[in-house]
Amino acid sequence: MAMFGARVIWGTKMRPSFRMLSFVICLTLGRAHGQTLGIASSAPVTSIDPHYHTFAPNDSFGAHVYERLVTRNAAGDMIPALAVSWKVRDDRTWEFTLRDVKFHDGTPFTAEDVAYTLNRVPRVKNSPASFSIYTKAVTGTEIVDPHTILLHTAGPYPLLPNDLGNIFIIPHTLGPDPATEDFNSGKNAIGTGPYRFVSYNPGDRIEMERSDDYWGPKPYWKHVSYRIISNDASRTAALLAGDVGIIEFVPPTDLPALRKDSRVTLSEVVSNRSIYLWLDHAHDGPSPLVTGPNGEVLARNPLKDLRVRQALSLAINRQAIVDRVMENAAIPTGQYLRPGSYSYVPDLPPTPYQPDRAKALLAEAGFPKGLRVTINGPNDRYVNDAKIIQAVAQMWQRIGVRTTVEAMPWNTYVARAGKLEFSIFLLGWGVGSGEGLNPLRAQLATWNPARGLGTANRGRYSNPAVDALIDQAMGTMDDGAREKIIQKAMKLAMDDVPVIELHLQKNIWATRKGLEYEPRVDEATLAMGVRESK
Amino acid sequence: MSATIAREETPFRRFVSEFAASRLALLGLVVFVVIALLAIFASLIAPQNPYDLAQLDIMDGRLPPGSKSMVGYTYILGTDDQGRDMFSGMLYGLRISLAVGVGSALFAAVVGTSLGLLAAWLGGRADSAIMRLVDLQLSFPSILVALMILAMLGKGVMNVLLALVIVEWAYYARNVRATAMVERQREYIEAAECLALPRWRIMFRHLLPNCLPPLIVIATQQVARAIALEATLSFLGLGVPITEPSLGLLIANGYQYMLSGKYWISFYPGIALLVTIMSINLVGDQLRDVLNPRLQR
Repeated sequence: MAMFGARVIWGTKMRPSFRMLSFVICLTLGRAHGQTLGIASSAPVTSIDPHYHTFAPNDSFGAHVYERLVTRNAAGDMIPALAVSWKVRDDRTWEFTLRDVKFHDGTPFTAEDVAYTLNRVPRVKNSPASFSIYTKAVTGTEIVDPHTILLHTAGPYPLLPNDLGNIFIIPHTLGPDPATEDFNSGKNAIGTGPYRFVSYNPGDRIEMERSDDYWGPKPYWKHVSYRIISNDASRTAALLAGDVGIIEFVPPTDLPALRKDSRVTLSEVVSNRSIYLWLDHAHDGPSPLVTGPNGEVLARNPLKDLRVRQALSLAINRQAIVDRVMENAAIPTGQYLRPGSYSYVPDLPPTPYQPDRAKALLAEAGFPKGLRVTINGPNDRYVNDAKIIQAVAQMWQRIGVRTTVEAMPWNTYVARAGKLEFSIFLLGWGVGSGEGLNPLRAQLATWNPARGLGTANRGRYSNPAVDALIDQAMGTMDDGAREKIIQKAMKLAMDDVPVIELHLQKNIWATRKGLEYEPRVDEATLAMGVRESK
Repeated sequence: MSATIAREETPFRRFVSEFAASRLALLGLVVFVVIALLAIFASLIAPQNPYDLAQLDIMDGRLPPGSKSMVGYTYILGTDDQGRDMFSGMLYGLRISLAVGVGSALFAAVVGTSLGLLAAWLGGRADSAIMRLVDLQLSFPSILVALMILAMLGKGVMNVLLALVIVEWAYYARNVRATAMVERQREYIEAAECLALPRWRIMFRHLLPNCLPPLIVIATQQVARAIALEATLSFLGLGVPITEPSLGLLIANGYQYMLSGKYWISFYPGIALLVTIMSINLVGDQLRDVLNPRLQR
């Protein structure tokens, strides 16, 4: 008995430090063999707990250690992960067939872990932004056998696999309500992913080592040092100095120099994050920051006139903004999604630059002498946000719209935007789900917080025909049929110019020469995607 | 020396010759006058109105010094990221910097001097109240106070001016009070009091002129300080509107391009700011030497 007890202590208590020791040894040897990869992340990982905070850097790190039922490949398409397959049993029931794999601690992954995870997600204490938005559609779980689970929903809910694509699965052996602190210490940091967790130093770095019994393709790098370098210039400097192998969110101002630098390889892909201008649809009377050409208060909100909205959109030279302000780290767009996405609308190109037609439309709408407007925007949130609105102001000036520019810090800005104090204001929206229902429901549906619709509809755009199509799409389980309805709704809405779309940002990574990264639509920086170039 | 002795020696002549004794101070004065003229006549000299968005073209953005613009003239100091001619932008920026600097120093001088004189004259509770307010004000770093005021009031040239006045008046009040306390004990004040002159008259006609020399020195230093502070606030994005950049905001706009070799966006406004502040300080230092009775040669 005593011997057995001692062995247990050896097994549980000694192993982590032994693992640590072997890690350090491998680290020193590994460097010589190019087996350690340094990643420079732009924002701190706030927790190792995968259900603590819906925050892109956490998901980016989490994908190394944990896995989801469904995941996305670099292009943003959904692919099986811990679920081998899934199907719709009836309008309210989904069946998921699970993969036969083991967690890092050796326990097998079963349907019980899925039920346990879904139950745990809404119960995480002090979560700054809960993952429960992705689990709330599930009203019940039913374990059929260890590798089959049924998920019930209250009504037809075609987006369930998209939602579950955000939830990392943890083992039920962690017991009831595992504490976030125990994840951060490493005790609970157990997943099925390609890397095992080694150590976490908040705000500085996370160390990981390859899990050799991973079911999927074996990752190239044995050790990963996931470092937080939030200063743009330091991140670029760390790459050039060879401290790290890859950096994310390459600052656009450094792009021209890095494109010419032979020590560096850039990987870029168009993302699903678009930058656009919201227009005030909320006020029927005078809009807060729009007046007539001599500053006189107008009886009606001119932005309610489609011709005015079209004129403002036609007056913008999107290609100039992309070339000159964004350093080509973006492409012009006329919709929320990147080309090639599910439910992308092919016949909705970026609005062309036609200042003469814009002037004619303004005159036709009763403003031959133009307007006076103020365009608002944040100055610390999106890439080049304050510069973009200045450039737009220049272009509007040329069609006779006298434009004042006001940029302010995000916190002030978003509070004032929420009080509907602005008339024309810049925002960005990243479509995490990669399909059109997300922007339709959040942005373009009539504002109705009780139903969870139009929650990000900051301009209070409302179009009953669009609303009806959104409802129809939400009840359509067939992917092909639903795509058609979404495209129809999006085309209908965007032709009405609820917002003025400007561009889609690119996600850009830079790697040391000799390495290459498979650029991801979802902004995640994964060691699994970094390999030596052939 | 013989030439000056030949002329009649008035206090003003003596002041001028003592000031001119320092070549450096004279140079500072000349440079400052040139800068002030450039700023005042900016709209006549500048090839472009950098505050009129219709005259900017983003396609002309970040051109190096010496490039030709699409409408024909040469950007002698290059353009910034919005296609703003750096030379024009700097002239207009100087105008804001100088207006804000001189304006705030003037307003602060009026407010601070009045309160300082009042404290010295009234004494007692009024004195304590005013001086404790001064202490309170001086115990906070001025940049912090200015940041808080601008965060509450919002951006704008007038708001920056107001913030700077609030930050600066205490320096004047404290110095004027100290000088006035000393001067009050002098015989000429006693004499004036014996003549039963009204108090305000003694205060402004007798006391104030004798407190002026240290005040002038403080004022020059505060102008330089105000210009630097305005540049700092604008650099941090809290000062002037982004479409009407002052020197500080021009520097901030170019700051991120420094590493990519486009030095001119930050460099030239930086030099202009440096030269302006230095010339004012040179003048101020010499004024202090000349006006300080203890250093009288």
